[in-house]
Formats: sequence, C-alpha cells, structure tokens
Amino acid sequence: MNHVPSYMKRYFIRLAIFLSLYMVILFGGLNWMNSANPPGDPMPAVLAVVTALPILGVFWTIFRVLVEMDDEYQRFLMTKQIVVATAVTLAIVTVWQFLNVYDVLVQGPQWIGVIWLGMFGIAGGLVRWKA
Amino acid sequence: MKNRLKVLRAERDWSQADLAERLKVSRQSVNAIETGKYDPSLPLAFKIADLFEMTIEQIFLRD
Repeated sequence: MNHVPSYMKRYFIRLAIFLSLYMVILFGGLNWMNSANPPGDPMPAVLAVVTALPILGVFWTIFRVLVEMDDEYQRFLMTKQIVVATAVTLAIVTVWQFLNVYDVLVQGPQWIGVIWLGMFGIAGGLVRWKA
Repeated sequence: MKNRLKVLRAERDWSQADLAERLKVSRQSVNAIETGKYDPSLPLAFKIADLFEMTIEQIFLRD
C-alpha cells in the first residue's frame, strides 16, 4: 500500500487550509493594527481570537486524523507521537515556569501551543524511527 | 508475541506490500507485526487468520 491513504490526504488538505488561513489572518490583522488607522475596541480582542482560530483548526486536524485512521498501527504511532509531544511540552513549560518563579527568567511560559506543535513534529520523527 | 507471518507470506510468495494490500493496512504495519514490534488487535488478528485460512493460534504463538 504505497499510495497515500485517504485519511492522510484529508489531513494534509486540512492542514494546508488552516495554515493558509492563519497566514492571511495574521498578516492582515497585524497590518491593520499597525496601520495609520488601527481599529478601536473591541476589534483587537476579536482579531486575537480570529487569529487563534486556524491554530485551533490545526489541533482539531491532528486529533481528527486519529479518529479517521483505519490502520491501527498507524493510529498507535500517532497516539504515541501525541503523548510524547504533550509530555515534553509539559516538562518544558514546568521548568520554564519555575525559572520564572525564581526570577531567572523575566517571563513565564509563552506560546505553549507553538511549543507543542514543534514537539509534535520532533516526536513524529522519533516515534517512527525504526518503527 | 511470536508469529509465523513471515513464513506464511513466503509460502505464498507475497511481499509485505502484497500482504498489506490484502489486509488494507500499511506495509509498515505488516512489518511491525511480523517482527513482533506490534501485536495486532483481535479484529486484525482474525482478518489475518481468515486470509491465511487458519486459526489465530496457528499463526500467533505464546511467548
């Protein structure tokens, strides 16, 4: 079965749609905010939520493929990938949080969703290495 | 769990890809089951047994 399974095709299409939407909304929103006539309240809050929505779509895409996968071994690998990404992200933000508590770092954990997505990518390689 | 998948496949001159196609799973899945890295669920084990016209116990062996 060398062809790409239909669930993976849907996964890549959804990812492409949500990431494209994210880029358009992010750059559009930031341009508007930095323009000569930036929007007043409550538009910044609305823009913030609207910008976050495609990222929520990326998370939905990742969890949805787990449901749609009809190959149990691939589902097992994807589950492992999600668990590893979550564990490493929790470890990073926990240490980061205490670095902040002890005034080693000025800011506490930030961009946790982005860290998780980064760890998800790394975990994908680790989990499938020699799988 | 040990299994006789590789032997049964070889007897029929099937590649891992051939078996994967018949089972409607990925070649990676067949490889993982064959090498004992992954134990299939009961439904998949029955599917494998049905394909080879054998019982599960004739294909999968206790450690």
